Amino acid sequence: MNDSGNDVAQERKTLDPTGASPEPARRRLGEGGLNLKPSGRVHSQAHLEHRTGERTVGQTSVENAVLSCRDVNVHYGHKHALRNVSIDVGRKQVLAMIGPSGCGKSTFLRCLNRMNDTIAGARVTGSIKLDGVDIQSKEQDAVQLRKRVGMVFQKPNPFPKSIYDNVAYGPRIHGTTRSRADLDEVVCASLQRAGLWEEVKDRLSRPGTGLSGGQQQRLCIARAIAIQPEVILMDEPCSALDPIATARVEDLIDTLRASYAIVIVTHSMQQAARVSQRTAYFHMGELVEVGETDRVFTNPRHRLTEDYITGRFG
Amino acid sequence: MLEGHISKAFDGELATLHIRVVEMGGLVLDQVRTASAAYTDWQPGPAQNVLEREFEVNEYNTRLNDEQLSLIARRQPVASDLRAILAMARVVTGLERAGDEAKKIARYVVGSGQRPGPATARDARHLGQLAVSLLRMALEAFDRLDVSMADEVIAQDKELDSEYSAGLRRLMTRAMEDPRQVSLALEAAFVLKSLERIGDHARNLARQVKYMGGDSQTLPETALSSGGVDRT
Repeated sequence: MNDSGNDVAQERKTLDPTGASPEPARRRLGEGGLNLKPSGRVHSQAHLEHRTGERTVGQTSVENAVLSCRDVNVHYGHKHALRNVSIDVGRKQVLAMIGPSGCGKSTFLRCLNRMNDTIAGARVTGSIKLDGVDIQSKEQDAVQLRKRVGMVFQKPNPFPKSIYDNVAYGPRIHGTTRSRADLDEVVCASLQRAGLWEEVKDRLSRPGTGLSGGQQQRLCIARAIAIQPEVILMDEPCSALDPIATARVEDLIDTLRASYAIVIVTHSMQQAARVSQRTAYFHMGELVEVGETDRVFTNPRHRLTEDYITGRFG
Repeated sequence: MLEGHISKAFDGELATLHIRVVEMGGLVLDQVRTASAAYTDWQPGPAQNVLEREFEVNEYNTRLNDEQLSLIARRQPVASDLRAILAMARVVTGLERAGDEAKKIARYVVGSGQRPGPATARDARHLGQLAVSLLRMALEAFDRLDVSMADEVIAQDKELDSEYSAGLRRLMTRAMEDPRQVSLALEAAFVLKSLERIGDHARNLARQVKYMGGDSQTLPETALSSGGVDRT
């Protein structure tokens, strides 16, 4: 065993924290005239962009956007939670927002249907346009806005009412149906689109809270689509679900994409990769990178994105 | 050098995989060097060693493929991690094929081949030295992830290709001058072709280094475009 071999054995010991016994040193490296000192280095980050100023890397705008956000800033009291975020949400596509906890992705999601209005001390500036109309203006009624921009939360939150009434709630308060027959049709269609109809059609009068977690989440999605929104916001919709229920919801998201724009916040990178067409990466209140999901997960342009999705920092 | 994942075990697994690929490269380089010298100097002993060690190359190939599959299944890598593992898988395949070329050359020496004349041996030696040098450079570029060295390998492979064409022309001229030399010339042509293919594998290895370095334009070569696969 030569010196280089000893180095390698030592290095491998260092590199293998699993405690597996180091294999015989690399006698091969001295053969064939190779004189290598293995670096164990398998990446180069030379090609990645570093953050300069507050510029977002990637394609922030899309053609024919349903939601168009420019220079959005959010303050909670003195805390500057979101800085100069500019991004479009395209029609009939899923935009996934990822990033470590506290990066501002949920804050941004809540801006899109003015949920931040309910938080004392929250101040939102910048422009957020839904079909070209600023949703922040005083003329914009928040209830009407939330009819067009529905939301599904992390924890399934069915009302303590029957399955039927849960779905019928929105159409009733917005007065979008004319008769009981109309309402029946909307409830049936919404449950079918949410993939829940076959499981609940014989027990529509039972409480929604009696369903399983996955079924409850799909009920909430049925409730959201019963008022025919243009955009559906989802805040970690699968984090409380098991893998089977998660797969059902993901499949549902893929189906719903044909009719709605969907913005989903998720902590699961695999989920973002599976369900979205565009991915936005947030970091410390800034939108660092946005782009086609395929590209972001195979060849991200920004070093922070690369570090986050490969698990180099939390 | 650790790679900075939160999971240190993942760092260790990637680094160990990288080291093993370099180990395999060292073995294949030695096989190529020995086989090439055994042909030009007509030494059946070393050629026999090449044939006996061929199974080690195949074992590396099998084991590393298993490790790569396991890493992908368990870690679900993305971005640079995924590119690195895919690139290393292609490097292993390329090295295994380069090892096959060395085995083909060694077979002529051990089997019923004929010793090349001085002029043919000179061409084979020259081409062999170029192929070994290219493969060594490619492995060093891979070891250090040195993209500029990888560019150099890709450029130098063209030189090997033109030397191969020139050597082949000289060989054909000699065969036409003396038809008794035809069978020997054919055999020598196959040896020169094997050495040229080893240069191609070194070039492909260099391309994978560029791919690992973030060059998304570096597409993997298919078996077809790299001249077919010999799995014997």
